Amino acid sequence: MTDSVRQEIRLALDQVYKEFQQRDSKGKFTAVDGISLDIHSGEFVTFLGPSGCGKTTTLRLIAGFETPNSGQILLDGQDITHLPPNKRDMALVFQNYALFPHMSVFDNIAYGLQTRGLSRQQISQKVHEALDLMGLTGLENRRPNQLSGGQQQRVALARSLVMEPRILLFDEPLSNLDAKLRVQMRSEIHRLQRRLNITSIYVTHDQIEAMALSDRIIVMNAGKIEQVGTPEDIYRFPNTRFVADFIGRANFIPATVLNHQADTVKVQVLERELTLPIRFTVRDGAAISAMLRPEALSLRDEAGLAQGIVEQAMYLGSEVEYVVNVAGEQLVVVENDPRASRMFAEGQSVGVDFVTSAVHLLPTE
Amino acid sequence: MFLLFGAILYADTYRLSRPLRRVLQDPLLAIILVLVVLFVIITIILPLAAMIGESASAEGAALFQRYLSEPIYQRIISNTLVLGLSVALVGTAVGFLFAFVQVKLNVPFKRFIHIIALMPVISPPFAVATSMIVLFGRRGIITRDVLGMRFGPNDNDLYGLDGLTVVLALSFFTVAYLNLRGMMEALDPALDEAAANLGASKWRAFRTVTLPMLIPGLASSFLLLFVEAIADLGNPLVLGGNYEVLATRIYITIIGLYDTTGAAVLSFILLVPSLLIFVVQQYWVSRASVVSVTGKPSGTPQTIDHPLVRWPLFGMVMTICLLIILIYGMIIFGAFTRVPGVNNDFTLSHFDFVLNGIGRQAMEDTTRLALIATPLAGLIGMIAAFLIARKRFPGRGVLDFGLMLGIAVPGTIIGIGYLLMYNSPVITTLPLFGEVTVIPKLTGGQGLLGGALAIVLVYIIRSVPAALRSGTAALAQIDPSIEEAAVSLGANSQRTFRTITLPLIRPAFLTGLIYAFARSMTTISAIVFLTTPQTKIMTQQILNEVENGRYGNAFAYCVILILIVMVAVTILYFVVGSKTGAERTIEGGM
Repeated sequence: MTDSVRQEIRLALDQVYKEFQQRDSKGKFTAVDGISLDIHSGEFVTFLGPSGCGKTTTLRLIAGFETPNSGQILLDGQDITHLPPNKRDMALVFQNYALFPHMSVFDNIAYGLQTRGLSRQQISQKVHEALDLMGLTGLENRRPNQLSGGQQQRVALARSLVMEPRILLFDEPLSNLDAKLRVQMRSEIHRLQRRLNITSIYVTHDQIEAMALSDRIIVMNAGKIEQVGTPEDIYRFPNTRFVADFIGRANFIPATVLNHQADTVKVQVLERELTLPIRFTVRDGAAISAMLRPEALSLRDEAGLAQGIVEQAMYLGSEVEYVVNVAGEQLVVVENDPRASRMFAEGQSVGVDFVTSAVHLLPTE
Repeated sequence: MFLLFGAILYADTYRLSRPLRRVLQDPLLAIILVLVVLFVIITIILPLAAMIGESASAEGAALFQRYLSEPIYQRIISNTLVLGLSVALVGTAVGFLFAFVQVKLNVPFKRFIHIIALMPVISPPFAVATSMIVLFGRRGIITRDVLGMRFGPNDNDLYGLDGLTVVLALSFFTVAYLNLRGMMEALDPALDEAAANLGASKWRAFRTVTLPMLIPGLASSFLLLFVEAIADLGNPLVLGGNYEVLATRIYITIIGLYDTTGAAVLSFILLVPSLLIFVVQQYWVSRASVVSVTGKPSGTPQTIDHPLVRWPLFGMVMTICLLIILIYGMIIFGAFTRVPGVNNDFTLSHFDFVLNGIGRQAMEDTTRLALIATPLAGLIGMIAAFLIARKRFPGRGVLDFGLMLGIAVPGTIIGIGYLLMYNSPVITTLPLFGEVTVIPKLTGGQGLLGGALAIVLVYIIRSVPAALRSGTAALAQIDPSIEEAAVSLGANSQRTFRTITLPLIRPAFLTGLIYAFARSMTTISAIVFLTTPQTKIMTQQILNEVENGRYGNAFAYCVILILIVMVAVTILYFVVGSKTGAERTIEGGM
């Protein structure tokens, strides 16, 4: 993925808007509210958001199963807004796999190639390559209902990959798998995509999945794009409280602007005065939020720190999770230091420390 | 009504012009959609419109006044409704009894009971009535010879409301049985267990949990039987005696008085309750069901073992089964006897009459026309189900309703509609071509193909609704994303339908075909006005034989007709197949 490849725009959404007639009423529901976006060749992009945020509708608009009410969708510069789904060079991996239950694994994978009118020999060769790639060799004569969930998922993936589409689309493909298999398939998809370098658009509500797989994450909420960025960017520097809250967990600590320069401000956070970079404009004296991830906080028996009371302490094995009340604010603190020999007890008074470089300032909402 | 129809269509078109554009992008899909719409217009909308138009004429309006005010017609109308109610009540009760015994009781012969309950489906409409006359009539084998009963002129005999109720209930209860059995089996046993766990006795659990959940099913069966009963022509004709109903009066008005306007007006009077109840059943009651088929049984259904429940109910079911066997046994026995009940000597002359005599043409014509209609009805049903369940286009609901009219409208009314609409060619004048025949004359001996085309069209439109419903039900079980996957892999609508949808709904297709063939072979009301000397139909011939008291010939016809249906069903099973290939197999699994 060199920069020259990155600059080539594979898919462009331009002011795409989609509303649905609401059932049982005259009202309309805006699913996708005028979003614009460029996706580059070879990139792995994830739409992330809560259910009902419009991410699946956006994917279905791209795939062609829905038509936008307004706006344009361009594939390699060509307007495909009104092109039927079977004429778009994309392949969709469905949430429930959508394997053809009456066909063998081989016929499932061969289906798209047959539609393209390839010769029997070419089809056989490509299908066997795909079977090989996905570790399905030997299962080609099975019916989908004779496969495990993970195998079905691989067949679904093979069926789409074999088409060598310009874009591979994923609609929450791992949500039907159990937790262990999900992790395994996640790394498999990661490996395949990096190896084959296929432009991929992935929809999920699982932030870990999004971060593990994506070059860029598009966080959506209520039909709009909240933020676009690399996983690290989105995790560390969320633009809004919604994004901060949706990606991982976050504490929002009230902070007051003491004074401000062009792109830094002096604020007081948990009884400490800090000078921090800021990405939005503020006035002196304004109330803002300081976001701190639970793992950036830690508890100590020190009098010089902001003091709080432990309200809840939960031992989770790899980490200990506390809820600490500091001046009426409940903060979640995660300690994962294996050297720590004891837990703080509920009701105990503790000092709250934090990593100053991890503080990210947000406007209050 | 048609104003309403048009208004809905217009409103739909106006609102959803975007999906229409979508459909038009796929030319084949658009063509097929247009063909299906044309099919509905030609086979049902135009005939119905002609019937309504005729009854709304000045002459018709006068007749309306007369019919609704004269006591004799008021009597006929009330007779019709009373018959509908009593058949619906008795038929639903019998259906419920059979379903209950089948699902909830631990009794022997369940398979036997099931097969007996299915028998009425494949028999011609008045086989049961005729057999009942020979068995229980004024000079019936059982009433006179076994029980020694003698009937005076005013004694209550089989003819009239009571006999009709029994015969119609026995002929139609299968629908209620299958419907209720399906629901009872789908009831989650965990609900019964939950009730028991909360301290309810089995009777209380049944009364407070099971029964309330079955109410939509009971209501639905009741309404279906009501519509069937008031639409029935064959049985009241044979068994009505002085008990006249609208269907028989319409028949006499056409056949005896050649009064099409009068018949149209009476048809309209019959159409109103039929359509009303049909709409209530289809669009309201059947959707109120709280029973969901999840396909995941969460326990074994508990049977009720109390001997005071078990054996009396079992006894009742077995008695009805024996009655049905007696009735069908009589048909076979009667087909081989000289004069059933009077001269019981063995003879093959009735079969000779049907196979080599006058009956042969009817047998061949009927089978041929049914064979033409069956695949068309099955295919149209599946295509329509695909369009309605899977595609978005304006007027989808209207198209569904239009297709369902084929079964919602009583057969006699469809027949009259065809007489009125297609007795002369539909001609229009075009600027350049002058007069152009759009649709040629279809009915009567001079009609296209000796009137055969009209009969085939009626067969098809009467059968499509069942295929459509079984098709949409099957599609509801199939995740649409399976078809979307095919489209995503480059398949167009036509390839998706042929390679994915149709194979997956194959069992529904088979059901549709079987229903279409059986229905076509056994229907009488819809084609009774459409048979011609060139095109003879078996059910019509049976009616003739029964009306002339030649029961032996009628029974021979019935036996042959039932045999033809059974052979065809068997062949369909093998040719079409009842499996999709997606069924779970135990061997070779994980």
